[in-house]
Amino acid sequence: MKPFANSNARDLQNAVQLAQNARQDGRTASFVGGGSDLLALVKERIAAPDVLVNLKTIKGLDQVKPANEGVSIGGLITLDILSRHDLIRRQYTVLAEAAETVATPQIRNVGTLAGNVCQRPWCWYFRNGFPCYKNGGNTCFSFGGENQFHAIFGGGPSYIVHPSDTAVALVALDAKFRIVGPSGERVIPAADFFALPQQNPARENVLAADEALAEVQVPAPRAGTRSTYHKIMDREAWTHAVVSAAMMLEMDKQVCRSARVVLGGVAPIPWRLPQVEQMLAGQRITDTLAAKAAEAALEGAKPLAKNAYKVPLTKGVVRRTLLELAARG
Amino acid sequence: MRQQQNTSIAPLKTVGHATPRIDAIERVTGKATYTNDIRLPGMLYARILRSPHPHARIRRIDVSKALALPGVKTILTHENCQVVWGAGGISGGLQYNDDIKKITKHRRYVFNNPVRFVGDPVAAVAAVNRHVADEALGLIQVDYEVLSFILEPEEALKPDAVKIWPEGNLSLNAQNQAQPMSTRRGNIEEGFRTSDLVFEDRYTTAFVHNAQMEPRSCVANWDGDKLTLYTPTQGISNCRSDTARDLGIPPEKVQIICQYMGGGFGNKNQNQDADLITAMLAKEAGAPVKLEFTRKDDFIGVHGRWPTVQYYKVGVSRDGVLKGIQLRGYSGMGGYRKNTGTIGGIDIYQCPHIDSVVYPVYTNKTVSGNFRGPEYPQGFYGIESMMDDVAYKLKMDPVEFILKNMTRKSRDEVPYTNYSLEECIRRGAETFEWKKRWRPQPGSDPGPVKRGAGVAFMAFRSALGRSNAVIRLDAKGHYTVFVGVTDVGAGAKTTMAMIAAEALGVPVSKIEVVWGDTDRCPYSVGESGSRTTIQTGYAVVQAAEALKRQIAEKGLPTGDNVLIGSASPNPTLEGKVRAAFGAHFVEVQVDTELGHVRVLKYLAVHDSGRIMNPLTARSQIKGGATMGIGMALHENLLYDRRNGQPLTAGFYGARLMTHRDAPEIEVIFIESDDGYGPYGAKSIGESSKVPAVAAVANAVFNAIGRRMKDLPITRDKILGALA
Repeated sequence: MKPFANSNARDLQNAVQLAQNARQDGRTASFVGGGSDLLALVKERIAAPDVLVNLKTIKGLDQVKPANEGVSIGGLITLDILSRHDLIRRQYTVLAEAAETVATPQIRNVGTLAGNVCQRPWCWYFRNGFPCYKNGGNTCFSFGGENQFHAIFGGGPSYIVHPSDTAVALVALDAKFRIVGPSGERVIPAADFFALPQQNPARENVLAADEALAEVQVPAPRAGTRSTYHKIMDREAWTHAVVSAAMMLEMDKQVCRSARVVLGGVAPIPWRLPQVEQMLAGQRITDTLAAKAAEAALEGAKPLAKNAYKVPLTKGVVRRTLLELAARG
Repeated sequence: MRQQQNTSIAPLKTVGHATPRIDAIERVTGKATYTNDIRLPGMLYARILRSPHPHARIRRIDVSKALALPGVKTILTHENCQVVWGAGGISGGLQYNDDIKKITKHRRYVFNNPVRFVGDPVAAVAAVNRHVADEALGLIQVDYEVLSFILEPEEALKPDAVKIWPEGNLSLNAQNQAQPMSTRRGNIEEGFRTSDLVFEDRYTTAFVHNAQMEPRSCVANWDGDKLTLYTPTQGISNCRSDTARDLGIPPEKVQIICQYMGGGFGNKNQNQDADLITAMLAKEAGAPVKLEFTRKDDFIGVHGRWPTVQYYKVGVSRDGVLKGIQLRGYSGMGGYRKNTGTIGGIDIYQCPHIDSVVYPVYTNKTVSGNFRGPEYPQGFYGIESMMDDVAYKLKMDPVEFILKNMTRKSRDEVPYTNYSLEECIRRGAETFEWKKRWRPQPGSDPGPVKRGAGVAFMAFRSALGRSNAVIRLDAKGHYTVFVGVTDVGAGAKTTMAMIAAEALGVPVSKIEVVWGDTDRCPYSVGESGSRTTIQTGYAVVQAAEALKRQIAEKGLPTGDNVLIGSASPNPTLEGKVRAAFGAHFVEVQVDTELGHVRVLKYLAVHDSGRIMNPLTARSQIKGGATMGIGMALHENLLYDRRNGQPLTAGFYGARLMTHRDAPEIEVIFIESDDGYGPYGAKSIGESSKVPAVAAVANAVFNAIGRRMKDLPITRDKILGALA
């Protein structure tokens, strides 16, 4: 581990200022919330910031508040609180369910929503310090290597899968992200926050230097909306999604008015399936339709040498999640 | 006679009654002092630089920059430290001792050149704190000549394979010959000639790590020429003799202290390079030194179970009687041979013609060594999958096939001290409702979610041997038992207290146990080979008898007087063979659409002789079965074939079982007293893992109708097989 200095932030502007100050001194800075991911990276020398700007000292950024008929969720809310929050469980079920599948109780007690969304990939090449795109190199070791858990969509030149469960849920919920940085604030759709490796293979999102994800805004669900998160894990706790599905259905009796279907564990970003969403809109969700949707979901999948099993697996997940959610009263 | 031995055994007063661990409160309140809790005045902290290459020659090491870092006190490399780690690489893979030391040609030093696996220690730094030591590692400049490497055991024996040792990649035996390990009985060709049907198949098993909770750590302190090592070891006695031998000092100048430890499952047996490195750093620095392994250090730097490739050829008569078993096996030992590399299992079948040839070979993976039933869980997975498959091919119920072919009342004409295997299997099948859960047609459940049942059985050594115990009685009626146990996790301290209480006819509360310190405790065999209860427990009984004789002779002590009873028994079996027996029955549910396996029901039936403490005994069975499930379905230290780098070191990466993965495990003990050991105790600790892997794999076959021949049986393989 490289030694680092800790800088407690008073508020978001101050946090940005502290990061910029460090940078002007020729030092590198990272924002840290719960630290469950970043400190592990620092210990393994995958990340080596000179200064950690501690966001935990900012007050009020860990709340769920009503806003514009929906809710705004502070980025510093812990995954545990989020997963047990009454309003979130009832109206934004997919987010609560995603949060409660993350890692372990210990990690959920300290890990934050913003940290979960911004966590670095769990590709074993990256985490073992291989000089890959994510570690500043110019190759992806998973290609031609051990790629059991890598991307079947959107890969190249890096084939990581995005590790966040809550990110998949937030894209399904059509959330917006409030980002604070040196040039002020900006609010962007969650789907635009995540970036494919073609755009920048070293990064997973559009955060610029000294920008932080401050808050998540989720619109109010329309009447008849229900949502769920289905995560396939290689053991009953403490793994990232092998494959996951976040789904939100707006139902009018037996008919699906609109749908949002997003996959995790299959692509370098939460992988939205507009063709499936269109296929479901205005339809009764039958066994046949669910099977057709599952087939459509995997159209264009490009498995690597060792992850072809993700294709039938994902089909199964899409079909079952859809049927189960439609049947939920 | 068998029935007679297995009918209910006479109850005892203390032994056999559920007794909480005598150190439970200390452990759960944080009062217990583990090695990492030891802090000595002026203590330095150490870190190890490990090879980033699977195979490389070190041309040059420059430590000058690291030494110049303020706070760095000492750096050791192969250039200034040539200590041989005897137990780390042994001809024949036998228990290390003076004779083996003389023979061993492929010597493993604590720092080796060339380095032979990713993780091989290259240098060690002692500094004023952990961070400085850590930073210093980054300043050591090593110039490597990178060599080609081998990961797979079969590839190691190809003629063009790079030689990991000058004599080649087949590890030398105890006569320094490059020979495989052979076991032959009868004439295998005759066996196949008299068979109606002959089947052949190939099974492979992966490297799995011991993955004990407590990573390796050590504190070393020299007082003049006397070395004290605080170290989590499974055997203080063999740790002392190994360390003294390796450092060239008399054993009485080495004190090993292990008061509490967080598990080992075999990878804290004997001494470790960590002990030697810490001792040498402390000597060079003239100050106490603490060395702590990270989880990654522990995963790639210590050892795990050897991966194997097993080719079987099995001949049977049409009515399912074994005629011949042939095994050609390959065991990957890593860059050094720390254990035999045997593939066990064939000997649990009664078969006139056997031909087993196993090649222990060097590879450039992490080293393989002792791990809970070292040669069995992987061997039993192979042979019991093979036999299960043969049973189906003969349209036989696997339970019937086992009953027809399993080891009987004697092994190689030597009788067992007692035999209960048939009872284990019959009682297990009945309790488990085998006929109801087993599918005569595998994979026949309708729908994507299918159930199936599997069975496997085992016999595991329960040998006797020498050990020592001392019991002191004072005038206040307090008994102090001195035993060289450390309690790797099975509860040896409590077991020894219970045995002493039973033998002395007093409650456990009157007994104090002194353990885990070579300056205070007599020799004990070490908590390996599932033999501490049998051997040291028997010594405690004998010491209690000696003490009782003195009391009868001299009366109870008064005033400052004490009475001391001691014993150093070395009992033998008088021409018999002694084994623990068991059978595991598993029901799984496989979601064939998602490739997910869930264990629905697990029954373990064991004869481990008389059970000393049902609380800890049950835990041993449950723990072993859980480990077996993990090995069957989850764990693997995966390597990248292109660069020889391990990718899944650690609890996250290797996908170890969590509490939520562990099913309810039902345990039935069929108790017996064969007249040996303390009150008839036989082995437990390792035996519970031995049949578990095979039982799970056989259940998966019964559920899906596809034989999974490569461990671990992960989702990708299941979906691949069903695609």
